[in-house]
Amino acid sequence: LTSLTDHFRLMARMRAFERCCLEGVPTREIHGEVHLGIGQEAIAAGMAGLLRDDDAIVSTHRNHLHAIVKGVPLRPLLAEIFERESGLCRGRGGHMHIFDPAHNFSCTGIVGSSLAVAAGYAYAAWLEGTDAVAVGISGEGGTNAGAFHEVMVMAGAWRLPLVVLVENNRYAISVPIDRVTATETIAERAPVYGAQGVCVDGTDPEAVAEAFGQAVERARRGEGPSIVEATCYRFQGHYEGDTDHYRPKAEKTSAYEARDPLMIARRTLSERGADAAELDRIVDDAEAEMAALLAEVRADPLPTADGALEYVFAEATP
Amino acid sequence: MTELRVRERNVSMAISDAIALEMERDERIVVLGEDVGRMGGVFGTTRRLQELYGDKRVRDTPISELGFTGMGVGLAMAGYRPMVELMFVDFIGVNLEQVYNAMAKNHFMSGGNVRMPMVLKTAGGCIGSAAQHSQTLWGLFAHLPGMRVVVPSSPYAAKGLMASALESDDPVVYIEHKGLLLLRGADFAHGSQVPDERFTIEIGRAAVVREGADVTIATLGANVRDSLLAADELANEGIDVEVIDLQSVVPLDADTVAESAARTRRLLVVDEDYLSFGLSAELIVRVLDRVGLSGLDRVERHALPDVPVPAAVTLEKAVVPNAGSIADAVRRLG
Repeated sequence: LTSLTDHFRLMARMRAFERCCLEGVPTREIHGEVHLGIGQEAIAAGMAGLLRDDDAIVSTHRNHLHAIVKGVPLRPLLAEIFERESGLCRGRGGHMHIFDPAHNFSCTGIVGSSLAVAAGYAYAAWLEGTDAVAVGISGEGGTNAGAFHEVMVMAGAWRLPLVVLVENNRYAISVPIDRVTATETIAERAPVYGAQGVCVDGTDPEAVAEAFGQAVERARRGEGPSIVEATCYRFQGHYEGDTDHYRPKAEKTSAYEARDPLMIARRTLSERGADAAELDRIVDDAEAEMAALLAEVRADPLPTADGALEYVFAEATP
Repeated sequence: MTELRVRERNVSMAISDAIALEMERDERIVVLGEDVGRMGGVFGTTRRLQELYGDKRVRDTPISELGFTGMGVGLAMAGYRPMVELMFVDFIGVNLEQVYNAMAKNHFMSGGNVRMPMVLKTAGGCIGSAAQHSQTLWGLFAHLPGMRVVVPSSPYAAKGLMASALESDDPVVYIEHKGLLLLRGADFAHGSQVPDERFTIEIGRAAVVREGADVTIATLGANVRDSLLAADELANEGIDVEVIDLQSVVPLDADTVAESAARTRRLLVVDEDYLSFGLSAELIVRVLDRVGLSGLDRVERHALPDVPVPAAVTLEKAVVPNAGSIADAVRRLG
């Protein structure tokens, strides 16, 4: 079982990883959009230890933390985000299109499109009769796309081993969820699809782990899909460069203080008797690890122009 | 080589035979779509498959095209070979997202690490069902990189191209023609004799279905049969027409067309898809790249003139290429 200290360590590494990505923005090493999960670490960390290699995750445009928890190797992951030939996808995918077939990890940059692909992995496990599960991740905004309904209809009808993990950071770019949906939660949609739904505090990795673990076990037992909704606050803009004028300053300031999963975990660990110096060391180690990684990646070459037309097809054209 | 046992088949039977042979050979093939199971397909192209291979490998889906096309993408990534059926190609508006952003791009976006052996099987073409159920749209798929696009013109081509599509490691859009699906085998002057055994037709090779010296018609789908009928009529007038069945739009076999057109010096491209920004212009440019601007005396195209397909039969006949209109187009070439 993953302890809160382990969760804290993982979250510290995740945040340090995201901060490395942040460094690539002003330098234009990441020359397009990048969507970071700072503030949302507890949700990804809550999955730690609960998934196997043969389980799949299909994630979103905000995917780095999910890749980390799925075991995607960090060196080629960061190199892909930094558009390097040494990246997981040889610099062809970039940060929104991370594919690691060895760990059954993928994502899509199109909001609302991850769940159907995850359902395909779930269908594969169901066909094979294994107890592997598929996790489809969506923001709360993505659950208003039609594909959410289509996927839940099929997954419920066929009792597919699918866990839909909804990261509810309250904003679809600028649009607050309560302005566009009638229900209090996304999870309460579950029963109409024959699924189980639960909404948890997504700043608490232990709460996420408990709810997510139950959903995974339910799927492994062949009892069908679940929706696990985890509430959180996105600390950065939707993407780096977002002016983010749509969220009140006071709301952001208060969220940074009250909804930071690292600060919350640190406080809880202290209450449980953890040594402050030890917690500092965990954070320092995480930052040193990621700084070293970033230095390595920065030394890697970018793809050369002569390969620009490669990989459209797997087979040669006659 | 031993002789294959051949018999007359219609397009629908040829397709279901091909899928059954492939499913027998490769248990990773899974069929998802509306009415593909209990009913065996609205045109019978998946008949008996559910009976033979069970309802997990041949799955009737709800009307959730975007959802089940995305499931096909996930199945392919998980090591399966899904065939997803979109009943009519006109419905592509509802699932295009998974087709062009995932199925077509995942191999590229992964730097070649993820294979997408997936077939999108769909029916196109005119059978009097007006603007929303008559399009062919192969030019649309061909415009978007990452998909093979095949269009069978006969029972023989339908079977061989389906086998190739299902064994391809790349995504293949397989567009069967509704008009051809409604014909009997005996209605075909070409390709009605189909081997019982498995065979493949290489994707990206055109076939010369009628040799001729005066004019080259390059076309595909139902217009191949129409062009052969037109060629018979024109033969009585002393015009000797060569008819090339392109068979696939991606890859496009411009070499075969260029070789023929360089001989006849007259090229007519017949396309049931919309005229502008499509196959007809693309093929002509590629042929000119090969034979040079002085390599041809006449070049024309005959395609759906950028208008939705109308309901009234008189209007439909006025805009959709058919044997009579193709013969007229050849006569206009002089």
